[in-house]
Amino acid sequence: MNNLPSLPIIANPRDCHAPERGNASGPSFITQLLTEQQELTAVEKFAHAEQCSESPAQAKYYRKLMPTSPPAAGEQYAFDVDLDRCSGCKACVTACHSLNGLDEEETWRDVGLMIGGTSQAPAIQHVTAACHHCLEPACMSACPVNAYEKDPVTGIVKHLDDQCFGCKYCTLACPYEVPKYHQDNCIVRKCDMCSTRLLAGEAPACVQACPHEAIRIQVVETSLVKENAEADPFLPAAPDPQITLPTTSYRTARAFPRNMLPADYYSVSPQEPHWPLIIMLVLTQLSVGAFIAGLTIEFALPTELWIELRHVHAIAGLVAGLLALSASVFHLGRPQYAFRAVLGLRHSWLSREIVAFGAFAALAIVYAVSVFVLGGDDGHHSATLNALAWSVAIAGMAGVLCSCMIYIFTRRDSWSPLQTTFKFLMTTAVLGVASFWLSVLLTAGVFGGEEIEEIAERLGHQYAQLLILVSASKLVWEASAFRFLLDRKMTSLRRSALLMTRQLSNITMMRFAAGLLGGVIMPAMLLGSSMKAGGETSLDFLVAAMLLVIACIVGELFERYLYFAAAASPRMPGGVR
Amino acid sequence: MSLTEQAKRLANRLLSPLHAKDGALTRELLLESGPYGIGFVPAEKKPDSITRSICGYCSTGCSLNVHTRDGTAVGVTPTTDYSVNLGMACPKGWEALEVLQSPDRAVQPLLRDGLGKLRAVEWDRALRTFVDRMKGIQAEHGNESIAFLSTGQIATEEMALLGALAKFGMGMKHGDGNTRQCMATAVEAYKQSFGFDAPPFTYDDFEQSDCIVLVGSNLCIAHPIMWERVMRNRHQPQIIAIDPRMTETAMQATQHLPVASKSDLVLMYGLARILIERGWIANDFIDAHTAQFDAFSRYVAQYDLERVAKETGIGAKEIERLAATIHASERVSFWWTMGVNQSHQGVRTAQAIINLSLMTGNIGRPGTGANSITGQCNAMGSRLYSNTTNLLGGHDFADLDHREKVASILEFDESLIPMDAGWPYHRIMEGILRKEIRGLWIVGTNPAHSWINQSVSADILDRLDFLVVQDMYASTETASRADLVLPAAGWGEKEGTFINSERRIGTIRKVSRAPGEALADFSIFRLIADYWGCGDMFKKWRSPERVFQIIKRLSAGQPSDFTGIEDYAALDEAGGIQWPFASDAQDASGERRLFADGNFFHPDGKAKFVWEDPRPLPEPVSAKYPFQLNTGRGSAAQWHTQTRTSKSAVLRKLYTAEPYLEINPSDATALGIHPGERVLLSSQRGRAAVTAFLTRSVKPGEVFIAMHYGVTNVLTHPTYDRYSNQPAYKACAVRVDKAVS
Repeated sequence: MNNLPSLPIIANPRDCHAPERGNASGPSFITQLLTEQQELTAVEKFAHAEQCSESPAQAKYYRKLMPTSPPAAGEQYAFDVDLDRCSGCKACVTACHSLNGLDEEETWRDVGLMIGGTSQAPAIQHVTAACHHCLEPACMSACPVNAYEKDPVTGIVKHLDDQCFGCKYCTLACPYEVPKYHQDNCIVRKCDMCSTRLLAGEAPACVQACPHEAIRIQVVETSLVKENAEADPFLPAAPDPQITLPTTSYRTARAFPRNMLPADYYSVSPQEPHWPLIIMLVLTQLSVGAFIAGLTIEFALPTELWIELRHVHAIAGLVAGLLALSASVFHLGRPQYAFRAVLGLRHSWLSREIVAFGAFAALAIVYAVSVFVLGGDDGHHSATLNALAWSVAIAGMAGVLCSCMIYIFTRRDSWSPLQTTFKFLMTTAVLGVASFWLSVLLTAGVFGGEEIEEIAERLGHQYAQLLILVSASKLVWEASAFRFLLDRKMTSLRRSALLMTRQLSNITMMRFAAGLLGGVIMPAMLLGSSMKAGGETSLDFLVAAMLLVIACIVGELFERYLYFAAAASPRMPGGVR
Repeated sequence: MSLTEQAKRLANRLLSPLHAKDGALTRELLLESGPYGIGFVPAEKKPDSITRSICGYCSTGCSLNVHTRDGTAVGVTPTTDYSVNLGMACPKGWEALEVLQSPDRAVQPLLRDGLGKLRAVEWDRALRTFVDRMKGIQAEHGNESIAFLSTGQIATEEMALLGALAKFGMGMKHGDGNTRQCMATAVEAYKQSFGFDAPPFTYDDFEQSDCIVLVGSNLCIAHPIMWERVMRNRHQPQIIAIDPRMTETAMQATQHLPVASKSDLVLMYGLARILIERGWIANDFIDAHTAQFDAFSRYVAQYDLERVAKETGIGAKEIERLAATIHASERVSFWWTMGVNQSHQGVRTAQAIINLSLMTGNIGRPGTGANSITGQCNAMGSRLYSNTTNLLGGHDFADLDHREKVASILEFDESLIPMDAGWPYHRIMEGILRKEIRGLWIVGTNPAHSWINQSVSADILDRLDFLVVQDMYASTETASRADLVLPAAGWGEKEGTFINSERRIGTIRKVSRAPGEALADFSIFRLIADYWGCGDMFKKWRSPERVFQIIKRLSAGQPSDFTGIEDYAALDEAGGIQWPFASDAQDASGERRLFADGNFFHPDGKAKFVWEDPRPLPEPVSAKYPFQLNTGRGSAAQWHTQTRTSKSAVLRKLYTAEPYLEINPSDATALGIHPGERVLLSSQRGRAAVTAFLTRSVKPGEVFIAMHYGVTNVLTHPTYDRYSNQPAYKACAVRVDKAVS
């Protein structure tokens, strides 16, 4: 489209009309007009003195929409929206997009709609919203690499684009869906209240562009923001302001009718599933589970048998741990900066998770090497190895608990402490038991040896029973989420349940099918058969055990898919959907 | 750079691998202070020059600063000091450039081949085909068997050239524009009442009123920048919204009268009766400047409060309150848009509004007027210069003096001018059906989507022997039915002038290169004149600015006289100039309104009261089709059939992608319809699957769907105002059923 030769520009406004050539006709006339079409003649400069002045011309409109003095101690800048003036034209969204040079589909401001009232006195209200520059920004606490800064004077929450490594955790942590992932740059970007403009005394794009002067910048007292959040006057059906203490004020002289609700209130749509996170969570939990499952066997076995098993245990734990760690890197937009994750250790559960799993993997390597170097026969180094093994387990468990906290921190109902901890620990148990059992069976099957076969035989039943127990409890727990379908109110838990029965019903079905198959049906079948068939290790048995583990893993992957995709949460009012 | 700053930079650099506060990604969003007082702009799009252009969407006529870099447009911002928009724009304006860059732009002429596929051809072949086919049809079926349908979206100069070429050069008799769908009613109402199609207001009236009556006009969404002016009104005005729906505008109103569909005419008559009965009228003004008031006064006596309340569904108290508000206000302005125009009795309804303003003397003073808010960016240009209903310049085809004047200015033989205006849009469509019209040239409009009763109109277009579509996009519903597609340059790629709702003439600028071989409509018309063999007639029509001089001369002596405007540069310097601006006019600046002297354009100088009995709804609800369907604007980010607005990713985010039906929760509950459920909407003419949006903004028994969706006109009922021939898009009977999944 643009590969045409660039043509001269005629800059004198008096020459603006098309240059007039002789009277061509036919094809040569076409050529002439095509040439003329490509000549841009409109450029003219308006050189009025006041328009060349330092201060922007628009200032005369927005001056009154700006604070007269900068924030003092205990104050900060905030958006102030006069809902009585917001008519829903959405010019603010396009002006922000355009004046900030955002990408084609990128918007930092959105306008939603609320409806309610009676048929005699209906109410509709558009709501413009951008970043609320919270007192306690969840994005900032969540960020593992300190890519967020809250300006000590202005209170503006600014994102450092070059610091971001694209973990997207802030997009989950922010209750208002403000930070948005930028696909091409592999980082997150967000509204900074046009801090460059503010610094120069210019109004933010949205303030400048609202034809109705509905948006202004004001200085707010932080103590007042807290009190407001206590009284909860933010917006109907919006997230609880207690989570982050948003500073935006929504003002109206009207009283909203009691039934005022977002236009998209009843619409439920699946959230982004975050596949790398699904894989990472399931694999880390598998590896920690497998390691702990192996370790606890020690109590159930005579020492010599346990020592026999130690090699298997060490290798199995290590492999799974490394696998999980590499999976975790995939969910970073810019994995080359993974090392920056240490920066957020003081506040970010994601940093802590990364450090914990890093320690888990490192210790698992040390442990595996030690087991092979120091050997297990004489039991001389038993104490050292035991201590090492337990430290691996503790690091792993710490990692799993950090994983839990990452989601608990967001305060979504479907990611409640109980829901999250139960699911993550039970996944650890189910996959730990299943995969460790498999590794024992495989060792027995491949290497043979009386002791190991004895272990496999001896533990088989217990493993199967244990697996059935944990799997069944987990499935029952998960199924209990459907009880929220009976909620009268459209709670977020009801939304999750609705999603699982509607848009995500296939995934839900597969989740329960795989879970039942791998965690209940197959172990029950294996309970009734022996791994030995005519003195030889039965290949069928091994294959069955392998399928069982795969089914368990698939089941947990789908469970985790639903954990993300069906995690409905309160949000700012949206449009008609 | 100070030492501490240097130290800071160094520290930042050393720390950057661990904590990068700057870098390529940060710089991507770097802002820099731009020239000419535009404030900060993205550094990558910092302009080296700025030009102004009137926005190419609606009739508000906002001025946009087009930022250019090396001669090419890189961005737009609203013009700070333009009296229309005062530094503001709606989303469509902000995204004006974006829609030019679209992969479905028409970049070469396309000709349907023997296999029925549209294939790219050279311009020469396209033009030869155009001429051969059209002349062939004329040879066989007569000159009148080819017609054109044009648009309110091109420059006045282009409209004039098209109208002159088609009617005087090519011998067509019938041609109309999509302005028939939006403005025809206002045109006819003004002509009959005032003696000329003359919207009397200036936007400053929004700010000067102390009572603003909006009839069938959702200003907040359809004309956000006019709403800006209402919001800047410092007189704490009473705002009255007369609209069946609780719209954004009704929400902001101090009084909302949710009238029954098309009962606004009765309401106006009822108000007139109250005002007369209580003596709340301007007798002096009526006596001096109006005609037929007494007969009108006698006529409206029958509209007693009880009847009006019953027929409109509005309580007697509310009606009386409105009358009292009108009486109590010093400056009352009445405004109407499509709710009135797109009606089976639109002209009479508009005139009932005009009557109110005349009888209360609310005209000719600041903050008053009976004011039609136009739709398209150049609907007003089309009203004067499309050479369809009026002879060029608001003249009459049948008037001998007018014919002579036009012929002599254009240096054509008078006999080339047809004796009458030719058929309106719907008659042209009917003509196709009757094989009277066999070749059709459609310019910049999309009837296969927008014309009423879509299934039939699409079928009608398919019956043509030869259909030419001239458009920016090759993908429109109409272009895809064409035998020949001519690729047109769009707004921003050509020059000319628009006339906005308040009669302000402003320029548009060529700031972007048209893609491929797309040509300005002006150039295409010149080529067709050349290939047709009538190029010599248009020798002097060499550039838009030359044509501006021609149409300026045509305006001489008309109410719309603008002979005082020197040229484009003068328009730019003045910030647009409203007609009238005759050669002896002094005051080019500011905001001017008509009728300050009480003189109207009828020969007697008086305005006429015009009235007529209301007509029943053409398609009342029935047991089978129990809902009244209303249609209208969906959002400020959408425009007409969305051929342009759907090309901006940001605009797409601002409206609902799939068609949805507004339905009252009580009706939905009765039908067992849940929020967000798919429902089947059907009328006698067709059916559409849409999503249910439960909202009390529509009354029980009424439903609403936005006009931008392709399915909407599958349902609408083809009736027309008998005087303006404008289609009545806003009332038909439908049923709603749960969709069987």
